[in-house]
Amino acid sequence: MDFIALAKKLEGLQTISSMSKLLNIGRRTAVNYAWMLRKKGFAQTLYGKRKIRMYKISPFKQNTRGYPGLYEFLNQNSKIKINPPHIERIYGNKPTAEEMIVKAVETGELRTILSSLALFNKIKNWTLLSEIARKKNLGRKVGALYDTARTVIRTRRIDKKTRKSLLKNKTFEKFIVKNARTKDFKDIEREWNVYVPFNKADLEAYKE
Amino acid sequence: MINQEEQISLFKIIGTQLKNKIECIVIGGSAMMFYGAKAATKDVDLVFLKKEDLDSVKKVLFDSGFNEKNNIKGIFREDEETSKPVMMESPQTRFDLFLNEVIGFKIHEKTIERLRELHEFGNFIVKTASPEDILMMKGCTEREKDRDDAAEIIKRFNINWNIILEEVKRQTKIGIVAFPLLLYEFLTELKENRKLDVPKNITDELIKIAEKMLKELRKKGQLIKVTKYKHKK
Repeated sequence: MDFIALAKKLEGLQTISSMSKLLNIGRRTAVNYAWMLRKKGFAQTLYGKRKIRMYKISPFKQNTRGYPGLYEFLNQNSKIKINPPHIERIYGNKPTAEEMIVKAVETGELRTILSSLALFNKIKNWTLLSEIARKKNLGRKVGALYDTARTVIRTRRIDKKTRKSLLKNKTFEKFIVKNARTKDFKDIEREWNVYVPFNKADLEAYKE
Repeated sequence: MINQEEQISLFKIIGTQLKNKIECIVIGGSAMMFYGAKAATKDVDLVFLKKEDLDSVKKVLFDSGFNEKNNIKGIFREDEETSKPVMMESPQTRFDLFLNEVIGFKIHEKTIERLRELHEFGNFIVKTASPEDILMMKGCTEREKDRDDAAEIIKRFNINWNIILEEVKRQTKIGIVAFPLLLYEFLTELKENRKLDVPKNITDELIKIAEKMLKELRKKGQLIKVTKYKHKK
């Protein structure tokens, strides 16, 4: 069987019924095709609402080398999911939540940063977070986001030493997301001297 | 020849030795390896957008036992000195380092928008060119192996032919004027000799663009010199 041609035909998001309709085959055969494509690395199983199985099919073989990049990491660890603009892989050391938070802030994208708030729950090494953030002059931004995250997510308390070191970091750019500021979280903005791009309604998704 | 595992190891070596973050675009066979469309390649082709980034990687490669190959006269378009890559070779493999363009094919914003994958090797960030761009770059060459690769790309991927048409028009303005003609020849050959699925309206459109360009050039009285990428024996 030519799996590449099959994957090319079915490229995109499919369910068993859409596959059977598209290929004009029975449901059982479509299940078998989905299984074969997954085994060959052309399909990835996702779950929709009510646990309906969906298959992300692509003629590109799934790259299993390295570790998942920022967007996949966020999708695995956060309630707020992101449609990745491209496939990303990281080679070498396994990426940590600390690195990923800083990377998310670096992107300057609202939804990515919003999604990254969930990672504060996974932080194990506050000193490492502070080190990475200060290296990139993002200390104050990360600190402000931590305080914002604390308003909706249960996270471990940051130690005073790390908080102080983050505060010592100079701010060159006050906006976390370009030109985005809201009227909520004024106290956090005052403390960290940066503008928080979210309002309280943006964070509702974490409460659901 | 170099396979994907070896390529990744080499990129890791570069990544650990670089002091600053450097981004580049991987094209040709190396990019196809990332897509899982090829098992091994002869050379690793990288395109840099900044001269200093190219120099840094060149230095790292030199420190890792690669030597610069200077005798590359006649391989590339004679009129385009800048399109010549820096070739760093070792007995096993070769790195071709390009700056902003590949044999006349200019890299620009849209090419960067189309990049499909990002691979991070410490400080070395490698982005893979889209299959459409790889196909077009292969169209500038005359090597048989490039034709095999192009055939594999057409077979394997759902090529967005509209992207190719748009890019051809853009390249005629910023890159090689005769690009539509070269690509037309290339795709027609692939279609006829290898029975590949290249839509007829695309080849028709390409020849229309080429004729239009030729007419304009004739009006202006400009002569075009076309030399395809060819290895000199």
